Amino acid sequence: MKRIRQISVFVENRPGRLLEVVELLGKHNINIKALSLADSSDFGIVRLVVKGTDEAIKILKDNGFTTAETHIIACMIDDKPGALANVLNILAGNQINIEYMYGFTSPIEGKAVMVFKFSETQKAEKILEENGIQMLSQEEIREI
Amino acid sequence: MIYDDEMETLPREALEALQLKRLQHTVERVYNLVPFYKRKFDEAGVKPDDVKTLDDLKRLPFTTKQDLRDNYPFGMFTLPLEQVVRVHASSGTTGKPTVVGYSKRDIEVWSDLMARSLSAAGVSKGDIIQNAYGYGLFTGGLGAHYGGERLGATVIPISGGNTKRQIMIMKDFGSTVLTATPSYTLYLAETLKEMGISRDEIKLRVGILGAEPWSEEMRNTIEEKLGIDAIDIYGLSEIMGPGVAVECAEAKHGLHVWEDAFIPEIIDPETGEVLPDGEEGELVITTILKEAIPLIRYRTRDITRIIKEPCKCGRTHRRIERIKGRTDDMLIIRGVNIFPSQIESLLMETEGVEPHYQLIVDRIDNLDTLEVKVEVSEEIFSDEIKHLQKLKERIEKDIKDLYGITVKVTLVEPKSLQRFEGKAKRVIDKRKI
Repeated sequence: MKRIRQISVFVENRPGRLLEVVELLGKHNINIKALSLADSSDFGIVRLVVKGTDEAIKILKDNGFTTAETHIIACMIDDKPGALANVLNILAGNQINIEYMYGFTSPIEGKAVMVFKFSETQKAEKILEENGIQMLSQEEIREI
Repeated sequence: MIYDDEMETLPREALEALQLKRLQHTVERVYNLVPFYKRKFDEAGVKPDDVKTLDDLKRLPFTTKQDLRDNYPFGMFTLPLEQVVRVHASSGTTGKPTVVGYSKRDIEVWSDLMARSLSAAGVSKGDIIQNAYGYGLFTGGLGAHYGGERLGATVIPISGGNTKRQIMIMKDFGSTVLTATPSYTLYLAETLKEMGISRDEIKLRVGILGAEPWSEEMRNTIEEKLGIDAIDIYGLSEIMGPGVAVECAEAKHGLHVWEDAFIPEIIDPETGEVLPDGEEGELVITTILKEAIPLIRYRTRDITRIIKEPCKCGRTHRRIERIKGRTDDMLIIRGVNIFPSQIESLLMETEGVEPHYQLIVDRIDNLDTLEVKVEVSEEIFSDEIKHLQKLKERIEKDIKDLYGITVKVTLVEPKSLQRFEGKAKRVIDKRKI
C-alpha cells in the first residue's frame, strides 16, 4: 500500500497564524512539499506533506500546536489538460467519495502530483491500482 | 396610581410596627418548622423571643442560595406539600435548581403585590398587557400574569420569543403595556422598525422591565425608540418573583420595596455588617408574609443602596437604587441566570476539550450574547473540519438544552487562553450597562 503521511495542524482564524506554522518549519529546515488550508468560520486546518514528518510533528507540538497525522494517497498524473478529470472519472464511476484533495508544490517535468483523502481509502487504492494510476510512496515523495 | 392606598401610604411608625409583628411571627414559624433554621438560630445563640425590635433582625443568621440548594428540593418549606399549590425554580451552579413553593395565600399575596407594582408603573384596569416574560419554572411569566389579572387588566400570555408574532399581536390587539426583559424590549423596538411599522400603529404606552440588570442609558434608549415609559421592576424567585420592588411612574427613581411583605437591609458583603441607609452594599431581604418558604435575611448578592428620602409619590415604603450588579460572577443572559461554573461542569464532561475556557459576554444588537471559547484537545483533534464542527455544535446544543440559552462556541488552540495562578477570571463582560 502506497500511503503517505500528512500532518494536520489546528489553527485559529487570525492573521499571521499560518505564517507562524510555515516559519517554524522553515527555521528548522523542513521542506514543505504540499500544503492546503481548510477553514470554517472560527478555525482552520493546515494540512502538510513534508520531508521529515516526525521531526516536523515534534517541532510543532513543542511549540504548542495541536497536530494530527493522517495517511493519504498521492497520485502522479500527467501534467496535461484532462488528466485530473480522467482520475476523478474513475473514482466517481466507482462511487468513491473524496473528502479533500490538493496539489503538490514541486513539479516533476511533465507530471503533477495530487494528494487525496478518501472516505474509503482501501477501496480507492484498489481501484486506482486496477486502473493503472501511479501512486507514490513516502520514499518517492522524499525524492521529488 | 396607588393600588392599595392604606397599605402603600401607611405612616412609617405603623408600617414598622406591622413589620415587627410579622417578623416575630415568621421567626417563630421557621424556628419550629424548619430544622435548618432551628440549627442556624441555635448556633447563633438566638431564640425567636429575642426578636423584640426590628433592630434585633441583625442578630439573626443569613440564608444563602447554597442553603436552598443544600435543602433541595423541599427542605426549607414550612408547609407540607398538600398545602403548597405551586412551585417555581431557578437555575443553580451545580445543575440543581433552587426550588421555592407557594401556598394558596402566597399566590394571593404575590398577585396583590404584583398588581400594586403594575399600578405604580402606571397600569390600570382597561390596559392590555402583553406579557413577554417566559412562562414556566421561571417566575417572570406567571408572576406578571397573575398581577395583571388581579389588577383587572387584560393579559395576553404570549411569553417570550417569536418576535414577528409578538409585533403582529401588539398591533392587532392594541397592547398598551409590555412586560419583558429590557434587552428583549429593545430587540422588539428594532424589529418594529425593520418591519416598517410606525409608532402610530401601536398603542404601547408602558414597559415594565426587569429580570436582568440594565442601565439608565438603556432606559433612555428604550423610551426614545418605543415612545413609552420604561419602568424598572425587581424580584427574585427565592423571595417571591417579580414585584418585590418597583419604580413608581411619578418619580422613576429608585424602586419601592413593599415593606409590609419584605424587610430590606444593606450589608457589607465581606463582613456581613449592616450598613446605614444610603450606603451601597449587598441587598438582604427577609420575607415576613410568606407561608410556604419564608426566608430570613436572604442574601440576594445584588448590589444597591437604600434611598431614605421620602418619595414624591406619597408611598411610605423605602426605595432601593437600581441594581448595580452582582457580588459574585453570576451571569444573566437575556434574563436567564447562568454561572461560569455551570458551563465549566458541562465542558468538563465533554470529551475532546481542555478544561480551559473563557466566557465572553456582550450585547450585540441589544441582545445579550455569550461566547464560549474552549481549547481543543490533541485527542479529539481530527484532520477533518466536520468533526470539529460537530463538537462545537454539540457543546452549543448541550448548553441550550441544559440552561436554555443560545451560545456561540469557538474552538481555540491549546494554551491560547489565559492561565491563572490565583483566582481565575474567566468572564469578560463587554456589555456596557
